[in-house]
Amino acid sequence: MTILFDTQSLLERFLTKLIRNPTLLGTSLAEPILFLVLFSQLFTKFSSFLSTGSGGYLAYLVPGIVLFNAMITAPQGGVSIANDLNSGFLSKMLLTQVRRSAILLGRLLTDMTVAVAQSAITIGVAVAMGVSFSLGAPGVLLLLLTSAFFEFALSGIFLAVGIATRKTETISALASVVFFPLVFISSAMFPVSFFPSWAQTFSNYNPVSYTSDVMRQLVTGGLNLTTLAYAYGLIGAIAVVTFAATLYQFRKVVS
Amino acid sequence: MGDIVSAENLVVVYQDGTRAVEDISFSVEEGEFFGFLGPNGAGKSTTIKVLTTLLRKTSGKVTVAGANLDKSPGVIRKAIGVLSQETSLDVDLTGWENLHLQGRLQQMSGKALNERVEELLRLVQLEDVAKKPAGRYSGGMRKRLDLACALINKPRLLFLDEPTTGLDAQSRAAIWEYLESLNKEEGITIFLTTQYLEEADRLCHRLSIMDRGKLIAKGTPSELKETVGDDRVNLTLRDPLSRDKTKQILKTIHGVSGVSDSDGGVVAYTKNAGQIIAELVTTLDRNGIRPSFLSVSTPTLDDVFLRETGRRIRSDELSRRETELFLM
Repeated sequence: MTILFDTQSLLERFLTKLIRNPTLLGTSLAEPILFLVLFSQLFTKFSSFLSTGSGGYLAYLVPGIVLFNAMITAPQGGVSIANDLNSGFLSKMLLTQVRRSAILLGRLLTDMTVAVAQSAITIGVAVAMGVSFSLGAPGVLLLLLTSAFFEFALSGIFLAVGIATRKTETISALASVVFFPLVFISSAMFPVSFFPSWAQTFSNYNPVSYTSDVMRQLVTGGLNLTTLAYAYGLIGAIAVVTFAATLYQFRKVVS
Repeated sequence: MGDIVSAENLVVVYQDGTRAVEDISFSVEEGEFFGFLGPNGAGKSTTIKVLTTLLRKTSGKVTVAGANLDKSPGVIRKAIGVLSQETSLDVDLTGWENLHLQGRLQQMSGKALNERVEELLRLVQLEDVAKKPAGRYSGGMRKRLDLACALINKPRLLFLDEPTTGLDAQSRAAIWEYLESLNKEEGITIFLTTQYLEEADRLCHRLSIMDRGKLIAKGTPSELKETVGDDRVNLTLRDPLSRDKTKQILKTIHGVSGVSDSDGGVVAYTKNAGQIIAELVTTLDRNGIRPSFLSVSTPTLDDVFLRETGRRIRSDELSRRETELFLM
């Protein structure tokens, strides 16, 4: 299968580049530990006056950190394709027989791999800090899959912007503007009952809330399959929109 | 041999309305070293982008390596190699990895690919640094690695878009040698664009001069230069009063087509200065005339460009190649 061969070639390229950049690799892998330890220490008293469910605030926080890490990985694809466009490397690839879709797939798989690695580290650190995953290995696997799927859906935004603008600064600026409201006005990090009413309303429509709630059920138990299906449907809808934008921009480059 | 590239009435108009290529037609024979010479903005790179499937043409009929550009771009990509103007390597990957990746994207794998990578690293003399990241290479080394990438799939046709722009004289000479050897020994057809007169003159069997999207002259470098005029032998005289006598003597030499005055001396015109220079010097000497300075200048491709457009390709290059023979 040519597309699998091409995708594998490009996945290997991106992972090699990541390994060759110890600063980026180190920070990517250290981020989940930093966030989990920092947030759980700073806000540990929340559980004394807010309902954070079984397992306390640390167990509440784990899905939020997993999701947040998946989100901050998403812009990397846009940065990478903007760099390849500017350096001429994308044109070099287009002059070969590579399947055009593999150029996007190779990058997406790289970022999903990073997101899964970060999630696995978060889960490992959480277990070391005393969090128990009530659904066991299947719950953990579904948690990893959900974080990868969410990362995939969001990366489409940044791929489209990266191709359209070719400016990595624009992608970084956009990431801050998109992520902070989405993460912090959601149930990802803090219970929404803690928020003012307008923020609670925003959170009720925020896809990050739906996703983090489902991921929390995977940690603390009580998984509702309808909620899971709804969250996956929502992430899928985001993916359809973001990848329609990405493919629209990408076709302009490759045709 | 047949044509490996054929373009008929090719037109490229960008979305902003810029007419980059204006109804040009040309062909390249298999095995030929063909060139487009012209200044920046002439439309050379745009034409190459169209021929290599990177850019859509507005109209015209183009065939490359026997395949129709509109119907079979994949067949074209399989048959060609392209060296772009800007070096485009992954600077985080080593030289070996860059070549290997390029080979895989050309659907090569296994032992055959590994052997091809090693062969090309030897060809461009980068075996010793093959395991170092390309980001640590010098400009000339990067260009050589980029050339090796373009050759990974053993192309029948190699497109080179200003391959030596920005390189120092030594790196440029090395690239020229590789290209000549690829054309002569491997039989690869080469399509080159350049703004360097010397590069076009030395490498190309046949070339087209391009300006503002149009082809303004075609032919071999010699044919094109012959259309401009003769070689000139410039003589500076020790005794200005001997000018008329010198002119009379020069007119008697076989091969001299004309003479004229110049500042401080005389100019003799001839089809081929190299063939008459010895006789010219001895004849003058026999008649007691010893010039203080003698030089030969031959027409260049820039003179062709000047005649066709009223402008020079590059203001920093000499309009005529001047060779100082000796100072007496």
